[in-house]
Amino acid sequence: MTKKPFRPDVDAPEYHGAYVPYDIIKEGAIAFLVVLVLTAALAIVFSSPDEKAVTIKTWSNANTVDFAQTAGDELTATSDVATYGAPYNNNGTSQHWGFLSPEKWVGVRIAVNTTNDFVINPLSDQPAQPQLTAALDQWKSASSATQGAWGAAYTKVEANLTYSNGQVHLPTTAAGPIAVLLSYETQMARSGALDQALIAQNGFYTTNYTKPLLFISDGTYFAGLATKQHLAGDQWGMMNETGQYPGQAWLWLYTFWYQVPPYNTSASGDFLVWGTMMILTALMILLPFIPGLRSIPRRLKIYRIIWREHYAREA
Amino acid sequence: MAQGWGLGALINLDHYGHYIQWHVIQISVANLIVIILMVATFVAALFAPFPGRRNRKGTK
Repeated sequence: MTKKPFRPDVDAPEYHGAYVPYDIIKEGAIAFLVVLVLTAALAIVFSSPDEKAVTIKTWSNANTVDFAQTAGDELTATSDVATYGAPYNNNGTSQHWGFLSPEKWVGVRIAVNTTNDFVINPLSDQPAQPQLTAALDQWKSASSATQGAWGAAYTKVEANLTYSNGQVHLPTTAAGPIAVLLSYETQMARSGALDQALIAQNGFYTTNYTKPLLFISDGTYFAGLATKQHLAGDQWGMMNETGQYPGQAWLWLYTFWYQVPPYNTSASGDFLVWGTMMILTALMILLPFIPGLRSIPRRLKIYRIIWREHYAREA
Repeated sequence: MAQGWGLGALINLDHYGHYIQWHVIQISVANLIVIILMVATFVAALFAPFPGRRNRKGTK
């Protein structure tokens, strides 16, 4: 019988060297205690980040015009969420690479109609007020073409929207009831009632903040706060934390892709980054089966530094 | 900063962070310190002797 040749990285050679006792339970216990003491000490010295949550109420009081402009975009279905596509609606192309588009395959799973969910329905649940009721009736009874014409007129003057004396003002008379609707929407927001209305759509007990979060994400206020704290995607934000605290440094590779083309210029950047990381993760999982890559630890010989006494005895 | 029970951090880190930028690379000083500490721990683990090695006798 011929003896098969020894294959490095695949075959395990029979060990004839020395053995030494090693208490892994003791090492684990010591490591646990060290981490426990370090955690307690660092928590006492540095505490932890404690940023106040941003709500629609805080946003609309801090930057009323930005809120009103965003509410107008939601009403006229021209915001990022309104035109995103799946999983929120069918109004966009969704993220994809070639024919690969998991978002589209999964379909609309979190249905969001920004016009009704963010503006019309919350306003309809308000106590009856003649001016508001008339504006809602005018909007609901209008045809899609008329609503579209009002929306187009609004979009033209949106940048010149102003807010004073509790009212939203638009420099046009062609936007139908939009100025009145936005005035009442802004009043709701500034009082905190809109936060409650958007959460309450999910039932009595809820921790689902999807709708208010999507609404807030369409404005510039929240993104501005994130940029100040270096949390934006193009600032390696995924690995940063608020304040001067260290963040998620282990996400360096995930966030790195967002800084370079084609990831940072593609409308499907999230999907491309995710796909790239899945390929790299598969390479890591399959490392023992990939010739060349699996030889790196043997060729680097770092193990010889750790076990230098053993190799010195063998020499 | 945590305010529960009137306690706060001895060192308040709730201020805007410091960041280092070099071309496309951008990293917070806090993250850099943590990474340097991790690398230093790894190097120390490589070169630090095993505890109790002087009292240990190798056995076959």
